[in-house]
Parts: sequence; C-alpha cells; structure tokens
Amino acid sequence: MDIGAPETEREIEIAPLEEPVPVPAPVEAPAEEPVPA
Amino acid sequence: MSEIYTEPIVGWRLWHVRRHDGEHRLESFTWHHVSWPARRRFEARCSTHGGAAPAQGHECGIYAFRTRELAEDLLRRYTGVRQHYGRPYQELPPLRQGCPIALGRVSLWGRVVARENGFRAQYAYPYELFLIGGDDTLARELRRLYAVDVSPS
Repeated sequence: MDIGAPETEREIEIAPLEEPVPVPAPVEAPAEEPVPA
Repeated sequence: MSEIYTEPIVGWRLWHVRRHDGEHRLESFTWHHVSWPARRRFEARCSTHGGAAPAQGHECGIYAFRTRELAEDLLRRYTGVRQHYGRPYQELPPLRQGCPIALGRVSLWGRVVARENGFRAQYAYPYELFLIGGDDTLARELRRLYAVDVSPS
C-alpha cells in the first residue's frame, strides 16, 4: 500500500479511553425470585 | 516528541475474505495468510522490531489510507481494471468468482505514523465493512464474527 513518501512521516500517539473493539453485551444474571417463607 | 490524542484515527483499507478453520476471516491484503482476529485488536508485528512496530525509518505496521478513493484505487490496480473505454473506471471493478474483498474503515491507535496518504499503526480493528464479491450470507457471517456493520455492495 502506497501511503506516501517516508519524508512526510510524523508520529502520533493515540491512547483511547476505551479500545475501539466491540465487546459482547454482558449477560445479566436472572434476579433471584423471592422464596415464600 | 509525538502528539498525543485520545480519539482513534479512522482510515480506509482492503482485506481479502478467506476461510480459516471453517469460518471466514478478514485477511491482510498484502500479506498472505495473516488473518485479523475477531473481537480483539490486531497488533502490528515486525520481523526486525517485534512488537515495537511501526518503527521510524522502516515500513512495518498496519497500513491504512486516508481516504476511500485511495483504497478503491488500490483495488483497481489489484484487479488490473483502471480504464473503461479509455476513461478512468468509476465503478469498482469485477472480482474473480469466489474471492471476495472487503473495503472498509478501520480504527487505528497506539503508536501511529502518519504520512501524506495514510498511516502505519500499532493497533487496529475494523470499523465498518463493504463487501465486494460476497453475498448476504457472507455479510451476516462477518457481521456476527467481527461485530461491526457489514454491507454487501
């Protein structure tokens, strides 16, 4: 891939607050049903 | 000293779509059999610099263009179809049957080296894909696997 001349390079540091990678939705644990006394 | 940002850069690139272990995967366009993992970042590795890619003064790192037009131009050069009746080919060129390609946006972060037409990055993950030469079933499979939008073109 020709992204341009090496002489045009400049370095950037990117530290995202959250990585842009999708994560599976958390599985909610079923709430415990109250057991009649 | 490098500039520091918190928002990922979004570039454009191409992938081959090939089967690995019974599932379709995105594969590097220029390196054969280098597949992109699903649901975790793809990390640059260099035979000289190891995990320190992209290194200054080298060509290592994960590549992406600044614009969609530059990625489409690479696709035209790859297929060898650049002209149509003597004019520049405006549409995306036809592909060999059974060899789909994904054109798409990609998030880049970590250490990134920017050039006039694109980037070399340390980490990357697909952001949105346009499938060329693939059907709805393949688009659904890639959408489920990578959890990003995939549009059949």
